[in-house]
Amino acid sequence: MRLQCRDLAFRYAEGGKKILDGISCSFTRPGFHSVFGPSGVGKSTFARIIAAGNSHSYEGELSIEGLDTILYSYNLERLPGWSSTGKHIDRVVAPEKEELKRELIRIFKIESLLGARFHQLSMGQQNRVNLIRYLLQDFNLLILDESLANVDEKHRQSIILSIKKLFPDKMFLYISHHLMEVSTFCDQIMVFGASSGKKSYVMVEAQNCLESQAVDKQKRDKTMLEIMNAF
Amino acid sequence: MLFRRIYQFLIVYIVGVSGLLLLKQILGLSDYVIPGVSLIITIAQEAGRGYFFDVLNTLSIAVLGQAISVILAFAVGIAGRKSSWIGSFIKMTAYNIQAYPIVALAPIIFILLGDGFVPRLMIASMICYFPLLLSVLGVMSAPVKDIEHFYIVTGRMRWQLEVKIRAFENLSKLITVISGSATLAMAGAIVAEFIAADAGIGYSIRVALYQSDLGKILVALFMIGIVISVYQGILESISEKVKRVMMVPEDEI
Amino acid sequence: MKKFLSIAAGLAAAAILFATSSQAEELNYRLKWLFNASVAGDIYADQLGYFEKAGLDVKVKEGGPEKNAIKELELGQAAFGVASADQVIMALEKGADVVVLAQIFQINPMMWIYRSDIPEIKELSTLKGKSVGVTFGGNDESILNTLFAVGHLTKDDVDLFSARFDLSPFLTKKVDVWPVYRNSQGVILKERLAKENEQVHFLNPADFGVKFVANSVVTSGKMVREHKDVVEKFRVALVQAWADSIDPANEAASLAAIASRDKGNTEDIVKLQFDSTRELVKAPVFGTIDVEAWKQTEAIMLEQGQIKKAVHVENAMYK
Repeated sequence: MRLQCRDLAFRYAEGGKKILDGISCSFTRPGFHSVFGPSGVGKSTFARIIAAGNSHSYEGELSIEGLDTILYSYNLERLPGWSSTGKHIDRVVAPEKEELKRELIRIFKIESLLGARFHQLSMGQQNRVNLIRYLLQDFNLLILDESLANVDEKHRQSIILSIKKLFPDKMFLYISHHLMEVSTFCDQIMVFGASSGKKSYVMVEAQNCLESQAVDKQKRDKTMLEIMNAF
Repeated sequence: MLFRRIYQFLIVYIVGVSGLLLLKQILGLSDYVIPGVSLIITIAQEAGRGYFFDVLNTLSIAVLGQAISVILAFAVGIAGRKSSWIGSFIKMTAYNIQAYPIVALAPIIFILLGDGFVPRLMIASMICYFPLLLSVLGVMSAPVKDIEHFYIVTGRMRWQLEVKIRAFENLSKLITVISGSATLAMAGAIVAEFIAADAGIGYSIRVALYQSDLGKILVALFMIGIVISVYQGILESISEKVKRVMMVPEDEI
Repeated sequence: MKKFLSIAAGLAAAAILFATSSQAEELNYRLKWLFNASVAGDIYADQLGYFEKAGLDVKVKEGGPEKNAIKELELGQAAFGVASADQVIMALEKGADVVVLAQIFQINPMMWIYRSDIPEIKELSTLKGKSVGVTFGGNDESILNTLFAVGHLTKDDVDLFSARFDLSPFLTKKVDVWPVYRNSQGVILKERLAKENEQVHFLNPADFGVKFVANSVVTSGKMVREHKDVVEKFRVALVQAWADSIDPANEAASLAAIASRDKGNTEDIVKLQFDSTRELVKAPVFGTIDVEAWKQTEAIMLEQGQIKKAVHVENAMYK
């Protein structure tokens, strides 16, 4: 599998300001990769271009190999309100994924939420329910655009670790604002900077922990520093 | 909701009639121009019952007409929700036709169809159809991205689901427009009867007008007001109930 | 409800207008119907300056289905008007102060047209089994009911059909006998059917002794009491204008006057309508009030419950 771009750029209107500029990157292995950076630097735009592929406008080159199904999820998504979240999830799960569904429900701790309507859940609960739907679909690359926002830290960690364990051959692009989390659990981190800088992003190799006990604090701190000092 | 509607109407009615009576007093007008209280009461006793049933007759046309226009508006609104050329064509036509007063088209309908049940129904439906259509088109052509995204990217989106999502997300708006269109349908039915029909309260008002009988018209307006208030009150209560049931999980009802 | 408020506001505005306009000399004269040959004398008076010669500034205003001259008299929006006898009688019953100055039509133009393919109606019993148009609430309903009473018929003997402005039920032969104003729609329908080789007859209620008075010139009692001279000048000028307008010697001028106001009808139709109107209004002295006919009209209305108590309409005639 390969997700590669060269001199990728994007602007909303012709002649307008570039939201993305000169992005060249390459993700070639499965696992949890991250797109990190302050708000408004184009992380979501970058993610949407990847998800939409050639149906999105962009400048430069984008090549995607071995990633037939790319799904993009984001944290403002909602489930329809006419029936309970449990029923909505059931409707979008293939029978062969029933077991996976039960497993995810347990890990995500949403058993008690399945009878409620989506709008009755807290934001963190809503994001967990939404993410489960995506994990139960067929995909090669799943982009999680702040999909775990408002979920408490401990919970987030266990969810990320479980996803890595349950989907070892899938690629994930995780957009998040949690510096320590991405430094600890992600593999490659693409750090977006302020657009005024000469280079608008930096690639950082992170620790890619598979167990919470195995965290190398020193390495983590180093990665964090690297990210902090990127711009 | 129901009682509020009724007493709101009664207040407005009493204020209106009092204004007329005051004018009668100030200008010293005869009962022929503005009937006095006792004459209004006498007329109400004589004609009130008949007018009440006339209003019910008109209401039945209005309800049926409203139902037809709701169904039609949804059918056309759903068909016209896409930004395809058919969609734009439907939208443009709806906007243009809406600008055309139905009352001006009414005589054509009567000449073609005579003065019976069908033209009354047609005009009642047409008058409430276009505002409904514009609302439905507005709702149906506006994507609810945060909900629809998942179904689109996972290839599960069907037109039925899309319509369901958009309708549900705008339930309050649609319900308000539908219950509001009841008054329009009623007005349409009355106008139709007024122009040409041989039944209903619009027809009775027409007859009273031939006789220059403001007393009868006041009684007729009272009956119309009361019946519409009750009908709208009921519609609003039903819609409140629908909203509550739709928004709350089964185990909490 | 908004309607009430707007009516009230309209009336209030009218009252204010009256308060200011009553100072002016202009006198409004509200007709009962649109400008056409049936108001020939009124147009003639206006066009040929009869009112000016009498020293009056009169504005002749077109009528219509929603116009009511008696109400306008009371609200001060008009000084004179044309009203039908049933309007006058109903207004009197409800305390309106109205006086009849002259009776325009000696024969009521309200008649029923029918094709000659049904037997000529010489006896009212011929109506049995026919479908008959009637404007419910209109004065033709009263006339028809009286005809039924005279002819010992009941409503079950005929098939009543609710008539409106649309003539298609008669044209399509859905209805056999249709109410028309003899001198307006009557003329048009007769011509139209003649072109299709169909002959028509008119059922004139007066032939069966039913005399229901039609349009008359009215003013308010207050006007008579306070401005008797103005009323008299107006009456004399108007009666003279009508008499002159139907005088065959003035026909060309009369037709020209009508044509200048009635844009909806062709010259031929106007001529035919004018001829018909002349037959209906002619009297040894134009405007003669047929008191007996008025009494009969009141009796009919009393009998049919349109009024509940006698108003002695003869007392409302201008003397």
